[in-house]
Amino acid sequence: MRAENLQAGAALALILATGLIPDLAGSDYWSYSFQFANLLIVAAVLQSVLMHDADQISFGQGAIFGVGAYVSALAMTKLGLPLPLAVICAAAGAGLAGLLYAIPALRVQGYYLGFVTLSLAAVFPELLFAMDAYTNGINGISTPAGAWKQPLLLGLSPLSLFTTALACAAIVGHVLLRRSVVGRKIRVAGASPESAQTLGIRPGLVRSAVFVVTSACTGAAGALYPPIVGFVSPAAFHLELSILLFLAVVVGGRGQILGPVAGIYLLYLLPNVLLVDLIDYRLLAYGLVALGVMLLMPDGLVGTVGQWLSKRRVAAVAHLSPDELPIPPAARRADIAGPEISIRGGTKTFGAVVALDQVDLDIERGAIIGLVGANGSGKTSLINAITGFNKLSGGSIAIRGRATDRMSPAGIARLGIGRTFQTPRIFDHLTAWENIQIGAEARLRPLAAIPEGPLARLRDRLAGSDVRTIPHGQRRSIEVLRAVLTGAEVLLLDEPAAGLSPEERQQLATLLLRLRDEAGKTILLVEHDLDLVWRIADRIVVMERGRIVAQGAPADVADDPAVRQLFAVPAHA
Amino acid sequence: MLEVRKLDAGYGLLPVLRGIDLDIRPGEITLLVGANGAGKSTLLRTIAGFLKPTAGTILFDGTELAGRKPDDIARSGARLVLDGHRVFRDLSVWDNLRLGAAARRDRAAFDALAADVIDLFPILGEKRKLPAGSLSGGQQQMLALAQAFLGGPKLLMCDEPSLGLAQSLLPAIFEALRAWAARGTAILVVEQHVDIARPYASKILHMDRGMLQPTP
Amino acid sequence: MLEELAFVSVRGLGLGALFALLALSLNVIYQATHILNFAQGSMLVLGGLAGVMLSGHDYGTPIWFAGMLGTGLVMAAVMAVQGVITLWPLRHSTEQQSWLITTLAVSIIISAVLLLTQGPWSSEFIGEVPSFPVLDMRTPLPYLVLPLMAVFWFVALRLFLRRSLQGLALSALSQDLDAAAAAGLHVRRLQIAAFAISGLITGTAGYAAAPIISISAESGIRYVISGFVVAVVGGMGSMAGAIVAGPLVGILAMIATYRFGGQYQGFVSLIVLAGMLFLKPNGLFGFTAARRV
Repeated sequence: MRAENLQAGAALALILATGLIPDLAGSDYWSYSFQFANLLIVAAVLQSVLMHDADQISFGQGAIFGVGAYVSALAMTKLGLPLPLAVICAAAGAGLAGLLYAIPALRVQGYYLGFVTLSLAAVFPELLFAMDAYTNGINGISTPAGAWKQPLLLGLSPLSLFTTALACAAIVGHVLLRRSVVGRKIRVAGASPESAQTLGIRPGLVRSAVFVVTSACTGAAGALYPPIVGFVSPAAFHLELSILLFLAVVVGGRGQILGPVAGIYLLYLLPNVLLVDLIDYRLLAYGLVALGVMLLMPDGLVGTVGQWLSKRRVAAVAHLSPDELPIPPAARRADIAGPEISIRGGTKTFGAVVALDQVDLDIERGAIIGLVGANGSGKTSLINAITGFNKLSGGSIAIRGRATDRMSPAGIARLGIGRTFQTPRIFDHLTAWENIQIGAEARLRPLAAIPEGPLARLRDRLAGSDVRTIPHGQRRSIEVLRAVLTGAEVLLLDEPAAGLSPEERQQLATLLLRLRDEAGKTILLVEHDLDLVWRIADRIVVMERGRIVAQGAPADVADDPAVRQLFAVPAHA
Repeated sequence: MLEVRKLDAGYGLLPVLRGIDLDIRPGEITLLVGANGAGKSTLLRTIAGFLKPTAGTILFDGTELAGRKPDDIARSGARLVLDGHRVFRDLSVWDNLRLGAAARRDRAAFDALAADVIDLFPILGEKRKLPAGSLSGGQQQMLALAQAFLGGPKLLMCDEPSLGLAQSLLPAIFEALRAWAARGTAILVVEQHVDIARPYASKILHMDRGMLQPTP
Repeated sequence: MLEELAFVSVRGLGLGALFALLALSLNVIYQATHILNFAQGSMLVLGGLAGVMLSGHDYGTPIWFAGMLGTGLVMAAVMAVQGVITLWPLRHSTEQQSWLITTLAVSIIISAVLLLTQGPWSSEFIGEVPSFPVLDMRTPLPYLVLPLMAVFWFVALRLFLRRSLQGLALSALSQDLDAAAAAGLHVRRLQIAAFAISGLITGTAGYAAAPIISISAESGIRYVISGFVVAVVGGMGSMAGAIVAGPLVGILAMIATYRFGGQYQGFVSLIVLAGMLFLKPNGLFGFTAARRV
């Protein structure tokens, strides 16, 4: 948090200085250069939000910028609109274009999405030529700045003020986004779509929204291009611009607040301004800087410096004991009696592989059910089926009597089913407290008020911790607590004891017992640690090759000869 | 030959191995047993270089293995046969065998070893021209073992060779391991079917929740 | 009508063969490293530049072949160097996406060098291009040479990957990287060899195509996009897919050019790409390999 504030401060200082001083000093050349650089900074910040916060690769933001520029130019010249209105039109037009990018993003991710956006950006100049009745083709449209470049106050022109303000707004907006509920949801959806779904977030919707909004804002920035440069032409919005924005974000430092500023200064200002006499060498400098930074500082300029600085500070490691974790009291529930989850004839096949074979299972309220079996016995498939990540090939699942065969994972999460994964989905880019907070923010079910005291104490304990230093066992506890805070009544835990030391396993057992006893939660525990399971489970289900081969009270299951054959049952039962 | 001291390793931030101390001697078959999730595969993968240890040392004939790349370690003479009978499915059985010895350029040694391997697993000789993908699981496992052996390793590690195989094939596999151990190769095997493997082992180690239990 | 058909087919096939060669060279690198080389188009342009430099001197066919061989070897070396640069940060595997940036950066650097040495306009092939008749139309020879070259390289690659020990090793690498490492195969060396082979294919293709491609600082990225589209349509990593998808895309592009004008080539690629990603994201011959990074 401190690092972010420092970076934001530095960025604002740089933007204000470079945006305003040239006007005060009366240098037209530097005014122009920095106005343009500040516009690029806005576009780069938005690219950073798209790439890092939302985890979407887009090689086409330059085209979006160009859409904004052209719509603005047309609005001003053909429709005679004043600049502020032209900016609004540009944002609308660019937002629509962003929708074009959002559609493939629903279908493909990663570098495939990169190609599609790259191809779209590549045809943008061609599109401009094709529509030359409106766009005037290669000659472009002339857009004199008029009053916008006339000094208004102390030599500052409205255009300088506007671009400086926009760039500052972008930086501040980025920081605020990161601290907001929406920002956290975006980052969770980007970092782990599966985890997002268990929090009731729909990743596809989030992605589309981010594309449209960042594109609209990029278009708004592009709208200021015509008055600054004086004209728009297709040559200005080739692929090179899209690539520049992408490179600026990575070279500056992905996910760093100051990153886009550093990137634009390194890759745009440095070659274009410092090498203005050696104009032919600009492109070479640009390429060499990008290559050099990536080879020497793979985390980008700001990222690497930031890491180097933070190595000096030793972060405090928080140790949480299970008694300190705030557990909500049991909710008073007036709904029908009966099992929380009911599976009949559950079957799942992947081609010729049978993962689940005619599984009949009831999970009753307020119990801890242990699910054991060898790798490949179907345990994770069962959890995936219940939580909606895989649809059954045959049979049905009902949650509190309600059939869930067609529901999405987010929808099932809303029914109060919480889940953890084999590797804890802890988000490194959120603080430790935020990792827990996103559970509460999901607001999937009404939550009986948690005693404010313990919650506040926990927040204070975690306040200074870097989530990366938190030991694995605690990460597990954080993930479980997050699930509890969503209001989930049923918790499906996938191998929660994996990687825990003996003491941490004891703490996990205590936590689970507290959840059952104090909060009335129902827990389905998939585990290899048979000691742990036999100690705390009310009922044990044994799976082998997709079928349930035994279930019942721990003592009975331990005596079952079929079970003894499968593995060594713990001596005490 | 292999000395592991205080080894810690895991996947990302998930710790799996805790303070492993281990000694493997040439000519011995060491059997590593334990429940699912205990960390047996993780241990083999860490020694073979697929996982970087977070603490501890792995000394192989005096040289440190920790931090080196897996192909580098394999060429130094410590070969891992991965779990799941992984072979190059689109290539022929014979080509798979050739690749096993590709890092060594000793043609004569290859021919001699290949002849031995075909003696142990005649089916590989019969199917030498067929693509490896057409073999059954058990035959692919034999091929994977043979491929590793043809590299002339000083240490051979096998991760669950019996997984997914018919019981009837296991004796042949363990006989092969015994034969190779007799030549001086050190062998470390992870195996679920303890009863079948036990007669062949010189030493048995138990692993539980990331730690080696003291031998009784 | 028949003339139209012949024109579109022949030129479409030739253009498609060029794309297929690009896709083949992209696939060689992808199979060995899972890297998509954004600089491949620039490498093609460099090959073309070599072809242009040797033009206008009336050297005759044997010298032309020698030039092609030389260009291929030089480009193999250049790409091997690129391979070293691109793979070097990946040894620490902290930033697994660094190859995106380094290959883009190399593409920019090559463009910059071209700009400095050749200027901003495209380099034209000097002298008369030998041509062959197709139904009374003179068609430049590259449109015949390129399809032959595509077939040649496809067959040569196949033989290399299946018959020679090094080729088998490379093939093993692409089938199962971990098993290949466990078998002691020199992973890094093989990956650099993949870059070199890719350079051989692209260099010779660029050289042969010199009369018909645009050799300028900015055309590199357009060619690599076409190469990507063909590789994706054929199935990322599939050589057979590249050979089939190339002519497909080439002919479609040629039809669009003929009907609507040359500026729509980009649109055609885009529509084909979008269509394939929606209908069958793994491409014509693709396996269920990761379509997500």
